[in-house]
Amino acid sequence: MKKSAVVLFAIATLATLAFKPIPSKLVSRDAHIHFFSHTSLEDISSDNYKVVSTLNPESGELVFSVPMQSFEFEKALMQKHFNSKDFLDTKKYPKSKFTGKIDNLSDINFSKDGTYYATATGEMTIKEITKPVKAKGTITVTGGKVSLNSKMNLTLSDYKITFSKGKPSTNVAKTIEITTNSVYEDLK
Amino acid sequence: MKKSFKKTFVIVVIIGVVVALAIAFYLFNMPKRDVQATKTDFSLAASTIVNEYLKNADSANEKYLQEDGDSKILAVKGKLFSITEDLNHQKVILLKDSSDKAGVSCTFTAETNAHTASLLPGQTVTIKGVIRSGAGYDEDLDLYENVIMEKCDIIN
Repeated sequence: MKKSAVVLFAIATLATLAFKPIPSKLVSRDAHIHFFSHTSLEDISSDNYKVVSTLNPESGELVFSVPMQSFEFEKALMQKHFNSKDFLDTKKYPKSKFTGKIDNLSDINFSKDGTYYATATGEMTIKEITKPVKAKGTITVTGGKVSLNSKMNLTLSDYKITFSKGKPSTNVAKTIEITTNSVYEDLK
Repeated sequence: MKKSFKKTFVIVVIIGVVVALAIAFYLFNMPKRDVQATKTDFSLAASTIVNEYLKNADSANEKYLQEDGDSKILAVKGKLFSITEDLNHQKVILLKDSSDKAGVSCTFTAETNAHTASLLPGQTVTIKGVIRSGAGYDEDLDLYENVIMEKCDIIN
């Protein structure tokens, strides 16, 4: 009696494992954001490898939480300016955020390896100013692991990041390009 | 009298220009702060700083973050929960007690990555680094975010 119960349990467990269910909420604790500003005078770029992101495969909800002081620049002076009160004021606003949703969730099969084109619509909040944004990218599923790459443009003045004079007004572009790269894990 | 005044004036102007250029050159090429070579501002347990942030994030940010981005340098002691690697090939150690809702995430550098090689989960370690962001529950993520430290190295 006991033996058959164990066998039954084993079969039931194997049967459940044989199913590849849609993964539950996905999280990335060290996602990467790169931003790029181009002007004829100067190209400025910066990388942040400490972005936290969640992706819900069932609802398509996508969130990025960005610790602003983790943006690294080649020049120390540029990094100081970026963090300063006149610009991103990172002590007062230590995080920026994107909250949104994948528009074409039905096109993406999280259980099947492949590369899926995706677009997302949501809101970006920088210095406590929130604006609607759109992004496009790809969701890649390889051996059960989900990763996302996306690109979007940001107009700095939308978030009251403006410069009237000096080097920033000429050397920083009005619209900058933001690229993200995140590799997700199942939320344990 | 007039001629020697003019000469002195020109020399002073030239010196002034050279000094100004030197300052500009220094500022433009100013080296980044060497975190490990800089004195530690606060030595504390991982649980302590996590709970400080969970209690009052605004006052914790006031205490630990700096306006220019060169925020406080911390030596944090805690239990090694996990070692992972980020997309820049940097090792990331999470210091977290199982009873805490959040931990302290410590990212190493190309120079210090190797120092994490012999460490195992469960060990108690002290890590020095610069704080970038605090701990807290995020509604949108529906997760507790960890304190984030970068430019880390093991110091015990």
